[in-house]
Amino acid sequence: MKIKSQLIIFNLITRLLVILVFWLVLPILVQKVVYKKIDKSLVEKKQKFLEHLDKEEINDFILRNDTTETYASFSTLHSEFLQLSRKPTDFHQNKTVFVDEYRIIEGEQDNYRILRYQFLYEKTAYELEIGNSLGEIQDLTFIIKLFVLVVLIIILVVTFVMDTFYIEYLLKPFYKIIDTKIRRVNEPDTFDHTPINSTSSDFRELDTVLNQMMNRISELFKMEKQFIANVSHELLTPIALLQNKFENLIQNESLNDNAVDKIASSLRTLDMLKKVINNLLLISRIENHQYESNEKVNLQELLDDLCEDLTDRIDEKKIDLKMNLQHQFEFIGNKTLIHILLYNLMVNAIKYNKENGSIVVTDGFDETDYFLSISDTGIGMNENQVSHIFNRFTRINANEDGNGLGLAIVRSIALFHQIKIEVNSKLGEGTIFLLHFPVKENFY
Amino acid sequence: MNILIVEDNQELANEVRDFLSRNGYLCTLAKNCEQALDAFAGTDYDAMLLDLGLPDGDGFEVLKEVRKSKSKIAVIVITARGEIDDRVNGLELGADDYLTKPFALTELNARLFAVIRRLHGFVLNELEIHGFKLQLQDYKVSYQGNTISLTKKEFDIFQYLVLNKNRVITRLQLTEHIWGDVLELNSDSNFIDVHVRNLRKKLDKFVSIPWFETVRNVGYCINS
Repeated sequence: MKIKSQLIIFNLITRLLVILVFWLVLPILVQKVVYKKIDKSLVEKKQKFLEHLDKEEINDFILRNDTTETYASFSTLHSEFLQLSRKPTDFHQNKTVFVDEYRIIEGEQDNYRILRYQFLYEKTAYELEIGNSLGEIQDLTFIIKLFVLVVLIIILVVTFVMDTFYIEYLLKPFYKIIDTKIRRVNEPDTFDHTPINSTSSDFRELDTVLNQMMNRISELFKMEKQFIANVSHELLTPIALLQNKFENLIQNESLNDNAVDKIASSLRTLDMLKKVINNLLLISRIENHQYESNEKVNLQELLDDLCEDLTDRIDEKKIDLKMNLQHQFEFIGNKTLIHILLYNLMVNAIKYNKENGSIVVTDGFDETDYFLSISDTGIGMNENQVSHIFNRFTRINANEDGNGLGLAIVRSIALFHQIKIEVNSKLGEGTIFLLHFPVKENFY
Repeated sequence: MNILIVEDNQELANEVRDFLSRNGYLCTLAKNCEQALDAFAGTDYDAMLLDLGLPDGDGFEVLKEVRKSKSKIAVIVITARGEIDDRVNGLELGADDYLTKPFALTELNARLFAVIRRLHGFVLNELEIHGFKLQLQDYKVSYQGNTISLTKKEFDIFQYLVLNKNRVITRLQLTEHIWGDVLELNSDSNFIDVHVRNLRKKLDKFVSIPWFETVRNVGYCINS
């Protein structure tokens, strides 16, 4: 997942958490604050009441001393009330209790916060209740909660959007670096050295380091290119000289058979040397990206040509070759290289096959790729051998001629064309080489 | 036939000259671009062997100059693998053929024969050896009016041996001529023997061919 998305998701989650916590805690907080305020005012009222106990009206009630009677007073809209009653039983002196209770005042039921206070006055126990309606406050709490929530959401959305844009802005150079400096670079020559603007020093540094690194690689690539050209000229010219000298020498009629044999054998050795050098040069040139890759390659045509060339070998071993290609697949790449790749695989399929064996070439499409399968009924390999076959100078069967470069070349060419190779082999039963050709980029 | 050999390695140039002289060509050597262009300006050559890596410049420069002139000279470019896309460039600039270094002298001989034949408008269409006529246009061989049906490979082998008659041709040279310069190591194979055997059988039907020699362990030779 991209950093950008990760940051955005993280942002979103933390913000949602904040809202959730606030939503859970807010009612408790509001209630606490409101109750504190109400309780305080109720206590003040109680104080005031007790101070005015000797006032006539209340006094009347107290003096009347009637157990059933209650003194009550309430505001017009029933938001507050005050009630004084005798309380002979269950008496706790000077105890103040706060409760939430429903009361009916003049037929109207409402929830009240009530202060209950029991006290002795002139040897009689009284209970004082002062209530404050909660209905209004609950409405208010609800509105406050809603308001706070809306404000919170607005703030969160605004900051979230701002954060997202800022992250995007901050990371833009980073993605540009990835896109232009890393992903689109196949070879050092196409590398874009223009510095990327960024306000963050980290990205500037990354860019600088990448540029430096690429310069070094570029330098190495150039050196290798030069080296390859030098090797080609400096090694192949003496070989050419020797070869031509031997070729002229062998025509000398005064030579005896033994000498002719030796010259012919020297020519073969020279030829081997030439081929090893040419093979290594081929691998180097492929890895140095000295080949174009823009030709249309028709695999079926290529394979048909190839098998034509290999007829002698196929016939010699009486191999039954089955070409079962179903698709006219065209691939964009380097025809010469693809030819070498298929040639080497086919030659191996023949070379390591048994007499009267068979080779089956099939193709098809799996989910994403076009695949070509070359399977033989040869000597096969065990897992350990399979893991080494693509290394240079590896030979499975020491009895067979070869320089152990054929499959190393196959791997280089496959890598160059982004062809995936899969090898399935069973010792004594045969080997299947599966080539997966990328489809999307090449169909146009 | 006049041939201009442009090659900076003196020894190699000498070997090529020795070989070509024995085949009846008149050779001139040039060590660098300058000498090559001087020689080209002074004499009318039929063909030029042009090595690309020259001390005073790129062989392609010589090729460009040569193609600017009216001369119809046949040019065979000689490259070492690794010099980038020589082949494509060479053919685009008007080289008639190319050979990769190292090459077999007999192969050079065959290529020279082909480009010069083309240069002269395919006037020469027949090779003859001991009464066998090789018709180069349609890959047919006849003996005293009887057509011998050969495969393409058999014809190519026959022609190659005839062009390089009186020389021992190694299996390797024949193999490379028939199957090309494959990168595989064991190209010195016996497959060529099968084709040669078939060819000799077909020729032997008409007349005994003691001139078609097998050089044990080495290769073949056709004597004139």
